[in-house]
Amino acid sequence: MVKVYSITQCPWCDKVKKYLKSKNVAFEEHNIEENEADREACYKLTGDLVVPITTVNDKDYVLSFDKEKLDAMLGL
Amino acid sequence: MDKPRTHKNVVIIGAGMAGLTAALYAGRMNFSVLVLENGIVGGQIANATGIENYPGFTKVSGSELIGNLQAQAENFGAVIDEFDPIQKVRLNATPKIIETDENIYEADVVIIATGMTRRRLPLAESGKYENKGVHYCELCDGHMYQDKTIAVVGGGNAAVDAANFLTKYAKRLYLIHRSQLRADEVSRQRLKENDKAEILLDTEIEALHGDGRLESIDVLNKATGETSTLSVDGIFVNIGVEPNTALFAEELGIGGGRILAGEDCRTKIPGVFAAGDIREKEIRQLTTAASDGTTAALLAEKYINGLKGGNPSW
Repeated sequence: MVKVYSITQCPWCDKVKKYLKSKNVAFEEHNIEENEADREACYKLTGDLVVPITTVNDKDYVLSFDKEKLDAMLGL
Repeated sequence: MDKPRTHKNVVIIGAGMAGLTAALYAGRMNFSVLVLENGIVGGQIANATGIENYPGFTKVSGSELIGNLQAQAENFGAVIDEFDPIQKVRLNATPKIIETDENIYEADVVIIATGMTRRRLPLAESGKYENKGVHYCELCDGHMYQDKTIAVVGGGNAAVDAANFLTKYAKRLYLIHRSQLRADEVSRQRLKENDKAEILLDTEIEALHGDGRLESIDVLNKATGETSTLSVDGIFVNIGVEPNTALFAEELGIGGGRILAGEDCRTKIPGVFAAGDIREKEIRQLTTAASDGTTAALLAEKYINGLKGGNPSW
């Protein structure tokens, strides 16, 4: 399961989501401004609240938009 | 496997205001137009929270303005690719060559509109705290500082506008600038009237402190010579910008500044234009970026028509 933690106004979050869509990667969107549980999950995973964060199975993650790292994590 | 090779009439490098305006105009001329963007579409203004000096708009967000312009350009056939970074260019070749991670593009005309990137805080320890209290995107990271203490560094419009925006989160905000503010009077007045904000002029940050995360900063008041420590949870850096010229520095002979080109946006290489903030000029605004994009695209048409006739003038 791929999740993208983001906020409403965030150009890099939009870029990550556009990239995943362009590669036909299904993902869940989690807006940490709107959901306290998502904020906590985000903090627990990375120790911070920097967005966007793309996660796989709530374990591996990539901060911001990093094509190489995203491709490696998602096997693209 | 060899990369696919594709010919385009116009390749535009950079999808900010200048690049997208050029794409709109070139698209309307029925040229094949490709826009390549290594960062985010919109460039610097993608992060702008409220633009109040673009004609025809009382107030508009950067994302809305650029979203509309992108749709306009795409509507006239321009293709925008933000996921295929450029590896190298050969501007002196005929046709010009732009090699990306996945493609090789040939182009009759290249319009360079790569804009600027925010200057990093010039302190040795700033990298250690990047995204751990030191930030360069208010829109992306401001939300982390609900009811916290923030400092914004810088004195131009971008800094003061960032400070005004961040007061919606912060319980306390310092604007720190090494000299006097250069921002518009309207923005300055707005910040001065905000009870959460304190403006520290003639002041420089000397050091950052914190155990893994930023906790405080040392600031020097240059007028009194006194250094004091401010407890802050985060700082947002807006101390100017640097031109994105690395790809072209050698061929265009750039020594660290912007690209030399006149109001016609023509560089010293025939068929290569420089548009927007990347071009050396006195005034760099959204409106002048749009103007450059327009000029470059219209003169690109003239050049391409000449090229087709075997006599491209430059």
